Amino acid sequence: MIVDAFRSEWVKLRRTTLVLGVFGGLAAAASFFVVLLFSQAAAVGPGTADLPSLQVLAQPNGLIHGVNRVVVLLGIVAFGVAAFQIASEYSLGTLRQLLVRQPRRRILLTGKYLGVITFIVAAVVAASLIAGGVAVIMAHVRHVPVGAWFSGTGVKDLTEALGELLLAVVGFATLGMAVGLFLRSAVFAVIVGLAYLIAIENIVGRVLPSLNRWLPGQLLLGVGQGGNATTTFPRALLVSAIYLAGVALLAANTFRRRDVTA
Amino acid sequence: MSAHGPVLSLCDVLDLDQATSRDLAVRASGLTKRFGDRTVVDALELAIPRGSVCGFVGPNGAGKTTTIRMLLGLIQPSAGSGTVLGGDLGQPQSYLHKVGALIESPAFYHHLSGKNNLLALARLAHIDATTIPDVLDRVGLLQRADDLYRSYSLGMKQRLGIAAALLAAPELLILDEPTNGLDPAGIVEMRDLIRSLADEGITVFVSSHLLSEIEHICDRLIMISDGKTVFQGEVAKLRATRGDELILRPESESSLASLLTLVQRAGFAARVEEALLSPPTVVVEAGSDQAAPLNRLAMHADITLIHISERARSLEEAFFELTGTHSRDVETAHSLGSVT
Repeated sequence: MIVDAFRSEWVKLRRTTLVLGVFGGLAAAASFFVVLLFSQAAAVGPGTADLPSLQVLAQPNGLIHGVNRVVVLLGIVAFGVAAFQIASEYSLGTLRQLLVRQPRRRILLTGKYLGVITFIVAAVVAASLIAGGVAVIMAHVRHVPVGAWFSGTGVKDLTEALGELLLAVVGFATLGMAVGLFLRSAVFAVIVGLAYLIAIENIVGRVLPSLNRWLPGQLLLGVGQGGNATTTFPRALLVSAIYLAGVALLAANTFRRRDVTA
Repeated sequence: MSAHGPVLSLCDVLDLDQATSRDLAVRASGLTKRFGDRTVVDALELAIPRGSVCGFVGPNGAGKTTTIRMLLGLIQPSAGSGTVLGGDLGQPQSYLHKVGALIESPAFYHHLSGKNNLLALARLAHIDATTIPDVLDRVGLLQRADDLYRSYSLGMKQRLGIAAALLAAPELLILDEPTNGLDPAGIVEMRDLIRSLADEGITVFVSSHLLSEIEHICDRLIMISDGKTVFQGEVAKLRATRGDELILRPESESSLASLLTLVQRAGFAARVEEALLSPPTVVVEAGSDQAAPLNRLAMHADITLIHISERARSLEEAFFELTGTHSRDVETAHSLGSVT
């Protein structure tokens, strides 16, 4: 049963060091970003693309500026955690134990996937809540009125932005799990994945800007930001979904057929 | 059949041909696994009666672990068929809920306690978590249940592997090198545990490189070499088939060749055996009842024997003969007290 595989995965995920590391790390990073955003922002004017002014931050969609800028950070963490969780089953040799107890590989993989995804989503939600609290404190410090944030429009915009962020994070995590399954080495999977997302896409995007619209990392960034200069949100969502569905099917099929020799 | 030297027939396979899946815990025919051009397991025949303790031995690289992984659904056979506890080998989900296994070295999450490692497996297989203390107690780990796995000694890790294998209250227990890393006391404990499990009616299929261990705990034996079955049957039958040997040492080494010819002409299988630290001897495949006739035969040919003794053929010798292992490897293995 998928629910059994899901519950089994959570026995591994709920360990203190991992929870503190991922939940605490994400919350700390997001909060630090909020502190930087408010402390460095100019008081008036439109601000820059990277650094909006306090005047802009005070608007109903002010917090969204913060959310949009942490997509890459959260995506990379989601990718790394997911890749590590699945690839380490090969590295440690624990996969053979798991498959003896659950030989239906699709069920095992689905349960593990749902476990990792819920863990990452929970970490992102927790980090968002904490960073939101820090934003309120920082707004108070910089005398930014926050009333607009909690207006109907503000809450709606923020909810949408968080939803898009979570979709992107789920996408990055799915990509991470697929890479982990293909490479079967936790360290190798994380290094290769992050090198691709951080370095290779960046280089390719600079050399051939027209390709940005088709690169998976850029598309997921577009999803997380609700659309950007490179792509619209619906297009980013559609193409990402096609990419991820293809990769996930290929990974699942490989997992189902491949001999377990580790 | 082995391609090496004298071949022992698959004595019990013929008997087991008549056996049904109900009688056999494991039955496999023509089981083959190829990795690219390399055939690791080559048309292997397996027949393990229910309730038996069956040893699985072979040189390194003979295909033992690959065979075990095929039985556990971890590796897909390239050819062949079989059943495990009545379930088809191609449908491992039909029988694995009744199987416990320790595959090679135990593999667990280092950052979880022994108890939580078992909890992860229990939840996965929908096994009642209340059985965890029982299996930990059975392997003597209950007091260390809450300690992190990474703090366990090698022997404790091995015992946790056995506990994991027992979680599902198995009808068939497949243990790959269960005594690895155990100290002598641990090996005796493991031997007792395996025997007690067999007494409960659990079929145990145990691979080991320690033939002495196999002799102690197993009533049946499967030997493989180069991926092929070279023997399977009762341990006692193997010993009986191999027979005993007489060691004859003439007064003068110059008589060795004459003595060998004399004995062979009398219809005995014999050979000269040379060793580093003792004089060469003529080894005759015969029991103690032939000692006197052979002594008289030598006397009539003016050969004085200064030593006649009987030597029981050990399982190790049978193993090396059947698997075609070189004599130098035999000596090394003897000196180590094991077969590797």
